[in-house]
Amino acid sequence: MADDALPAAPHTVDEWVKSYEEGGPLRGFRCPDCGLITATWSLACPSCGHIGLEEHALAATGRVVAFTLLTVPGDEFLNDAPYAYVVVALDGGGRITGWMPSVRTEEGVRIGERVRFHPSYKPGVQFVREGDGPEENR
Amino acid sequence: MRETWVVGAASNRFGKMKESGREAATRVSLAAIESAGLRPKDIGYTFVSNCFGIAEHQAHVGPLINGGLGIPEVPSCTIESACSSSSAGLHEAFVQVAGGFIDAALVVGSEKLSHLDTLAATSYFAIAADYAFETRNGATFPGLYATLASAYRDAYPTRPEMFGAIAIKNHANAARNPHAHFQKEISMETYLHSPIIASPLRLYDCCPFSDGAAAIVVAAREFVKTPRAEPLVVRASARAGSITEMQDRPDLLGLPATRTAAARAFQQAKLTPNQIDFAEVHDCFTIAEALALEDLGFVPKGQGASAALEGITARDGSLPVNPSGGLKAKGHPVSATGVSQVVEVFEQFNGLAKGREVPRTTTALTHNVGATGGSCSVHIFSRR
Repeated sequence: MADDALPAAPHTVDEWVKSYEEGGPLRGFRCPDCGLITATWSLACPSCGHIGLEEHALAATGRVVAFTLLTVPGDEFLNDAPYAYVVVALDGGGRITGWMPSVRTEEGVRIGERVRFHPSYKPGVQFVREGDGPEENR
Repeated sequence: MRETWVVGAASNRFGKMKESGREAATRVSLAAIESAGLRPKDIGYTFVSNCFGIAEHQAHVGPLINGGLGIPEVPSCTIESACSSSSAGLHEAFVQVAGGFIDAALVVGSEKLSHLDTLAATSYFAIAADYAFETRNGATFPGLYATLASAYRDAYPTRPEMFGAIAIKNHANAARNPHAHFQKEISMETYLHSPIIASPLRLYDCCPFSDGAAAIVVAAREFVKTPRAEPLVVRASARAGSITEMQDRPDLLGLPATRTAAARAFQQAKLTPNQIDFAEVHDCFTIAEALALEDLGFVPKGQGASAALEGITARDGSLPVNPSGGLKAKGHPVSATGVSQVVEVFEQFNGLAKGREVPRTTTALTHNVGATGGSCSVHIFSRR
C-alpha cells in the first residue's frame, strides 16, 4: 500500500502546529457520529470510536478549567518561568492546553477565567486573559 | 490458568547509584532469584524495564542482564509503559507463567538519572506526556499533576495540611525502610514552608528523581514445590489504558485508567476494596495518592485528600497505604517502581519489613500508573 493510501486525519500534527504558529485558526476535529470536538490528532473518535473525523475550526476563546503556576519550567521555557499552564474549554467545544506567560503569580488566573488564544513568536499555544494584552503582567 | 506466585524479591537502596543501571539490575536480579531458592537457569524469560536507558547510552539491556546472570540463551525483552513499566513487565510475566508458556520469569526494573542535572531530568520525565499537545505548550510532569490538584481543590474543600499529612506519613514510613531514598521524617512546618514547584504542589508534594533497581521472580505453583519464602499468590493482574491528554478527559477528578484496572482486578480476585489489608499506591505526587484512594474504591470521592490527616492510611490505620514510603519518599526510579511495590508486599508478607510492619498481611494491592494515567496496573496478592 502506498503511503498516500494509508488512513489519514484531515490535518497532520505539523499542520496543527504551523496553523497556530501562523496566527490561527486552532485546528481541530469533529466526530461526524457523536459530535465530539477535539484538538488532539487522531484517526478515530476517542469517545465513540467512530473512524474518520472531520476538520473543525476551534474557537479562539474559552475558559480555564484547570491550571498551575510553574516555577520550574520545561526546557523550552527556561527564560519564561514563572508562567501559568492551563487547560482551556473552548467556546463551542473542545479543550486544549496552553501557557500564559503574562501570568506571573498564582493569583493571576483562576478556574473559570475567560481567556483567548494569543499568537506569539514563542513556542506552544499561548493564551492571555480576555481583554488583556500580553504585556500586562499579573 | 495456572496458579502463579511471586517467589523471590530484591531491591537496592534507591537514591544515587554509583554503578551503572545494568550492574544494579543484574545484582538485584540474582538476589531475587536466590531469595526464591532458584538458580538463574530456572528462568524462562526476562522482562526488563529501563525507560530512560538512553540517559546511559544503553538500550537492549535484557541480554546484558541475562549474560551477567550466566543465562545468555534465555529470551528477554524491554517493556516500557512510563512509570508503570515494570508492573507491565509483571503482567506480561504473569500471562506467560499462568498461561503455561514458561515456568518462571524474572521481572526487573532499573533506572539511573542522577548524573543528569535537574533540567535534563525534568525533561526526561516530561517525555511520557504528549509532546505536541502538552509538553510543547509548557507542561512539565509536576505541572500536569498540579492541574489535577487545581481541579480537585476547586471541586472539594481542601487544606494544604491534608496533602502535607500524606507527605509526612510517607516520609515517616520511608525512614524505616532501608531501601528508601529519603530516610528522614519531615514536619508539617517543613512541608508548609517548602517552595512551590507547580502550584499548588510544593517541593514536598513531589517524589524525587531516584536511581534504583528492583527485581522479582514469578513462577508457577507447580514449578516451585517448596518455596524458600512465603510466596505471594497473584490473585489479579490487571492493566488498563486511558486517553493521555488532560485536554481530552471530561473528568479531571481522578484517573480513568486506575478505575478501569481496579474494577478488572477486583473482579479477577473476587474481592472488594474493604478486603485489602494494605496497599502500595502510585504517589508520584501527594495528589496522586489522594486520587488513587478514591479511584481504587477505598474511600468515597472527595475524601482521598483527608485520609492521611485522619490517620486512615497510617501503618496502624484501617488501611495502611504506602508502608514502604511510596514513590514520594522511598523514591521513584521510574522503571523500578512497579516491581519495588511488590518487593514491599513480599517483605511485609515475610516479616522482613522491620520497624514498618503493618498489622494484617493476608491480602495486598499494588497500583502503578504510567505518567499521568495513560496506562495503569493493579495487582492483588494474597497468602497461600
